[in-house]
This record gives sequence, structure tokens and C-alpha cells, in this order.
Amino acid sequence: MNTSQFSLRHYGDNAVLVEWAVSGFDEAVSNQVHGLAALLRDQSIFTEIMPGYDSLVASFDLAELSEADAKDRVAEALSRLSASKTGESGQLIEIPVNYGGEDGPDLETLSAAIGKSPEEVIQLHSGREYRVCMMGFIPGFAFLSEVDPVLQHPRHETPRAVVPAGSVGIANWQTGIYGLESPGGWQIIGRTNSVMFDPTRDEPFLAKAGDRIRFVPQ
Amino acid sequence: MSVLPVITILNGGTQTTVQDSGRPGFRHLGIPRSGAADRLSYAVANHLVGNDWDTPALECTLGGLHLRFQQDTTIAISGAQMWAQIQGMNVDLNRAIDVDAGDILTLSYARAGCRSYIAFAGGIAAQSFMGSVSTYLPAELGGLEGRALKVGDKLACAEAPHGPSRTIPRGYVPFLSGHAVLRARSGPEFDKLSAESRRYLFTTPFIATPATDRMGARLRGDRIVTNAPHAMTSSPLLPGTLQCPPDGQPILALADGHCTGGYARGLHVIQSDQWLLGQIAPGMQISFRRCMDGEAADILKTRNAIWQAIIPGFRF
Repeated sequence: MNTSQFSLRHYGDNAVLVEWAVSGFDEAVSNQVHGLAALLRDQSIFTEIMPGYDSLVASFDLAELSEADAKDRVAEALSRLSASKTGESGQLIEIPVNYGGEDGPDLETLSAAIGKSPEEVIQLHSGREYRVCMMGFIPGFAFLSEVDPVLQHPRHETPRAVVPAGSVGIANWQTGIYGLESPGGWQIIGRTNSVMFDPTRDEPFLAKAGDRIRFVPQ
Repeated sequence: MSVLPVITILNGGTQTTVQDSGRPGFRHLGIPRSGAADRLSYAVANHLVGNDWDTPALECTLGGLHLRFQQDTTIAISGAQMWAQIQGMNVDLNRAIDVDAGDILTLSYARAGCRSYIAFAGGIAAQSFMGSVSTYLPAELGGLEGRALKVGDKLACAEAPHGPSRTIPRGYVPFLSGHAVLRARSGPEFDKLSAESRRYLFTTPFIATPATDRMGARLRGDRIVTNAPHAMTSSPLLPGTLQCPPDGQPILALADGHCTGGYARGLHVIQSDQWLLGQIAPGMQISFRRCMDGEAADILKTRNAIWQAIIPGFRF
């Protein structure tokens, strides 16, 4: 696999940041991000290994590892990246979604703004498989790969104070699922009853980075 | 394991939660480390009562906590400068105190700093999630039902007291005032900030606004903005990082801070100084001092050595 252009630099005194030069979603880069995360996880020296869409942050205890050594270790892992398996895809998870109405308060306005009918928006949104690129900002929030270019729409200028858990939204080219009730500025087009995060379950997280998601209209 | 409650909460105050040293390693799942926002003061309180430094304790924010002891025990209070009384008599902070069953402890408003740690000999029993009892309020994890303590709550000791109470040499106890200087390195998007913003960041003081909690401290001061509108893809974020949204008022991420963010990461407070983030109270003045290459590692080495000589195993 070709290694896309990336930069490797320090993030504060106790983390290293790798950034790939892309705009929007790039599947090859996403593969590299998660491939690198897997290689770094094998080294127990890093405290947090946080893959993003087009970047990765690895934090460490500065008493255990110098800034230079940390950077060298990540550089070494990056050099092995081309040889390692990265195309491994996770499980496919079907997420039932009630689109529109109270569950998707922004469906009508988003449809009107992009000149499509709500039915077309539902069809486009549920018509492709997404990859879970990143989890966070809150437990269970799934940041997914790119929506159909037609659906791309910016966040609300003023975020809503409360977005219910399970809400499915669009922010520019990203789509995602709110794991918990939280404030949020994404365009909410539907809601799922699937519980993304339940600390009482044996497996608290419904999805993890690398999994694939398909939305099923209810 | 004791089944008798050791304390009953009479008033939870502004916000009191059970905390330990946190649950690191799960930020990629959206789970922040949490844990004591000021891990140094938390370690000091535990050490004084003979506990291991990372034993579960109470974190009281800004004050207002009243509790009754149901058993004789030993406690210590460290961190924010709160007026502490037992049975109406003033008691010292940063010292082990023997208390009797029936005694009532009250903590008044913090004069300096933000969070007090109340350690109990043997620690506090609480619900564990992913290896930690730290309370994380947004997802209701750990502690007591994942929430702040309220009137009527009863908490038990986790274990028999670990050992005899101890002291901390005078002069070692952190001094908190209305002004904190945080040493920092530039953040990943520092170069994206305007020239004025880059200069202000390390020269002019900021004030912590009332929008300050365990997730973050929103600061007010000279506007910190990016050169051009900077559309960022949501990216990983660490505690200690100062995020710079377009409105110019930066937000400092704390122990419960979001695991990702979409704003320029202007600077990052060094590991040695991150304990002080937990003492940022609304109204407090914050200055950032820029650390040069290699300086942070030297500071950490010195600070770890000083404190490990007193508190075995402690690390910033």
C-alpha cells in the first residue's frame, strides 16, 4: 500500500501527533490511521492511542519516554505501516433509524436546503455503508465516514443545548450517532433506539473504530 | 470489608464526587481519564491518612459539603483553601485528623483554589467501571450511581486502614492563590493563530469564567483567534490542551474533557503542571509561560523525584 503524505510532530510535552494531508474523507488514509493505531497498541508504552479521521495522537508519560524517543517510536511504526495489514474491516452493524419528525427535526430543512425530498435524503443516507472512523467526543459517539456529496451540509451556527441519545446527524461531510444526550450542533435527521453506550452491558460499546455501519430506515 | 457506613452526607455542597487516579487508556472509546482533577492534593490527602496515594477519596468543588461520621476514623483534607470545621471547631488542612462517630465536618467556600480532597483511612467504597471508581458525570460512571453526592447518601470504607497516619513536611504543601501560572508548550495549531494571539497567549493573563467544571475551564481575556477561519475536522484532544474557538474565548480541557475537538489546539499545559488545572476556580487569573524544548522533561524529573521521596509511587 502506498503511504500518503503525512507529518509527524510533537503535541505538547507528552504526546505525538501524526497528520495526513487530505481534505474530506480518504479511505486509504483511514486505513493507515487504524493500522498505525494497531501497531502502537502493541507497544504498551503509550498511555492513549487516539485515531482520528486523518490524524492520530499517541500520549505517553514523559517520565517513561522522552519526547524524541516517542517520536522515533511512532516514526518506526509508520515505516512498518506499508507492510502491515490495514485493510482489516470490523463487524457490520445495522442501525435502525426513525428518520424525520421529532426524531429528526432537521430533516425537512436540510432536504429543502439541498433541494431534495426527505425521502431522497433518507435513501441517500441509508444507501451506503459507513466506516466508524473515530469514537468520542463523549462515550459512544460514533464519527462515521463520508456521506453522499449531495447530503453535505454545515453544522448549526448555534448548537442545540440538548441532542437526545441515539440522534443521527450530519456535519459537512461527516455523519455520526450521538452516544449520550449532549449539547450538539449537527443537523439531526433521525434517531435510533440502538444504545451506543451502556456501562451495564458486558460489552458497553455497540461499535468501535474500524466497524462498518449501515442505517436501516424504520 | 466494612459494611457499616463511615459517613452520611448532610449536604453535598456545590459538587462532591468520589474520585481516584482515573481510568487512562480509553480515550479512543470516548471515555476520558477522569480521576482527581488535582492529583497532587488528592495524593497528599491519601498519604496523610496512611493510604496508598491512589485510594478512592472525595473531591469537593468550591465548598458547601457537610457530612456526619458514623464511625471513629481518621481523615485528611487537602487542596483548595477551604475553612474546615469539625463540631464547630476549626481544623487544619493537610494534617491527619482523628474523628469520632457522630462528629460533623463542614467545609465552607474556597478562599483559593477550587477543589478539596477528603481522604479516609481505608478509602471509600464505590462502583468500579473499567478499572476505576472515578465519577464521570456526563455518562453516570463510577462513584455512587455515577452522580454527585447528595443529602442522605451513605458511604462505606473500602478496606481496613492501610497504615498509621503520616505528615507532609512544611513547605511542600502546594500554595494556592488567586493566580496560577501554567507552564505550557505550543499546541498543534499554534502556528494557525494570528500573530497577536500567539503573543497574547504567553504574555497576558486570562480570567476563568463561571463556565468552569471538570470538563473544562472557559477563559476570558484578549481574544485568541486563528489567522483565517480554520475549518478543522474533529480531531483527538488531550486534557491540558487549550482549544481556541472562533469566538476568541479559549477553553482549557480538564480531567473530564472531551476526547475529540474541532477547534485549534493553541497550547498544551505540561504534564508537571496539569494537577493545577483542578484548582482553577471561576474568577481565578491564569497565565501561561512557554516552556522551551527539553525543559518540560527536566521539570517533571525534578518534581517526580521530590514527591516520590515523600509519597511512594506518586507520579505527575
